Amino acid sequence: MIPIIIIAVWEFFAIQANNPALLPRVGDVISRLVHPFTDLLNTGSFVRHIIVSASRVVLGFILAAVIGIPLGLLVGRYLLFHRLFSPIIELLRPLCPIAWIPFAMAIFKTYTIADMFGAHYTTSIFGQIQLGMLYVIFYGGFFPIFLNTVHGVKSVKHLYIESALLLGADQKKLFKKVIFPSSLPSILTGLRVGLGISWMVIIAAEMLPGSDAGIGYLIIFSYELAEMDILIASMILIGAVGALLSYGVKVLADRTSIWQAKER
Amino acid sequence: MSFLRINNIGKTFLGERKEEVIALSDLSFDCQDGEFLCIVGPTGCGKTTLLRLIAGLEQPSEGDIILADTVIQGLNREATLVFQQYSLFPWCNVIDNVCFSLEMKKIPKKTRYLEARKFINLVGLTGFEKALPYELSGGMQQRVAIARALAHNPKLLLLDEPFGALDERTRHRLQAKLLAVWQKERKTVVFVTHNIDEAIFLASRILIMRDRPGCINDEIKVDLARPRDRRSQGFLKLHIKIREVLEKILITNTNNQRGAL
Ligand SMILES: Nc1ncnc2c1ncn2[C@@H]1O[C@H](COP(=O)(O)OP(=O)(O)O)[C@@H](O)[C@H]1O
Ligand SMILES: [Mg+2]
Repeated sequence: MIPIIIIAVWEFFAIQANNPALLPRVGDVISRLVHPFTDLLNTGSFVRHIIVSASRVVLGFILAAVIGIPLGLLVGRYLLFHRLFSPIIELLRPLCPIAWIPFAMAIFKTYTIADMFGAHYTTSIFGQIQLGMLYVIFYGGFFPIFLNTVHGVKSVKHLYIESALLLGADQKKLFKKVIFPSSLPSILTGLRVGLGISWMVIIAAEMLPGSDAGIGYLIIFSYELAEMDILIASMILIGAVGALLSYGVKVLADRTSIWQAKER
Repeated sequence: MSFLRINNIGKTFLGERKEEVIALSDLSFDCQDGEFLCIVGPTGCGKTTLLRLIAGLEQPSEGDIILADTVIQGLNREATLVFQQYSLFPWCNVIDNVCFSLEMKKIPKKTRYLEARKFINLVGLTGFEKALPYELSGGMQQRVAIARALAHNPKLLLLDEPFGALDERTRHRLQAKLLAVWQKERKTVVFVTHNIDEAIFLASRILIMRDRPGCINDEIKVDLARPRDRRSQGFLKLHIKIREVLEKILITNTNNQRGAL
């Protein structure tokens, strides 16, 4: 019901304004969306921009998970790691990832993964994955993943740990068979939140100068050219992809943590 | 030398307001290899604490616990404890719970499952192998926990009111099964219960605990032939005797409380 009202109000004002550079008609935006493979403003299609953004996010996010989960398990379980990492993490946590973007751009310039491997003139996707962007995505994804993992480990019931030890578990098995599965629902929550933040951060990073692809870039470029229909279509796509990513992790999470929802 | 020896142990906890709570004081007893020892006593007298000390989950404040000639320090690897609370791993199904200790021993999955099925059958839960703990009633969960402990096959089996949540019929059936396992495998069992009938049916010997502070008040040897008849003269006599001891403990407690006021 509410979406219909929003669309109706939008259409009403679009007709009133009668200026596609200010507010396009609903139909114009839809006709952009139904042609996702058409080149836009000589920068590539929606599909290409989304693939570029998504590749950046997925790579940075995997990096965040690969570091955030093990570190969270250790910090949650061992006082030594807690003492070692907690101060620095508490210090960095309030620093919003978007604040890092200019710094990361300055440090990493437009250096890409392809450059890292010496392929400077590649057309592959790796030529579009800038290290600076990876860094900010990693930063944005890391904290929710790490903090939720720590929380998960800290809330493992003592009873389960004692049971496992009395049934012959050593420290390694305890981690694998009790602490990890018991914290898994919490870890997956962290992944979902982290992925959401990564997706927001990348859009912001792509809007800054120096970028020449990605859905965030397309937004800022269509803004400069006053192509409002492309701009709004991009916004809709960002929302849709974000929701899809979140839904994917949620399906995975629900499947692995039925026990937690049903635990009395 | 007895198999398990509890030597003048005491256990003091620090309470919420940093006050000292004396849970156990100067408690001693011996337990022979292969004995079925039952411990009864009023709530809060320290039965759970005693089992946790024997399992090595907690260290005594005074005295020591000797198992097979070695003083227990840290976790007791020869013992397993079936907790009073539901302690199944909620993310594992029944068979993987029962298998847990076998998995720790790196026994291959096929052998493991074969072995686990025996114990699942023993506690009457065949058909529930793939169920997750939340799908089972409290009593069923406790039976799985017993199967899990039996599969581990420890020398010393500690049980903390394991049948408390069961209806009488199931309780009687499991008591008989536990006895069968005990007789077949010649394990040493320390079994905590507040059910006098259960203690007499199972035990070779019954220890009666008193509280404030927790210690052994009485010891009763049960010389009735097995399987025991709950309606026999000997059984009923013992029942009355234990009941009297427990009532006396309660009365002295109330008197002490009056005196304190
Ligand atoms: N971890 C603990 N901290 C403080 N007090 C405890 C702790 N564990 C047990 N107690 C106290 O020790 C006494 C004995 O408890 P418990 O062994 O659970 O008794 P029972 O199992 O016979 O009911 C109780 O007064 C209880 O409050
Ligand atoms: Mg208890």
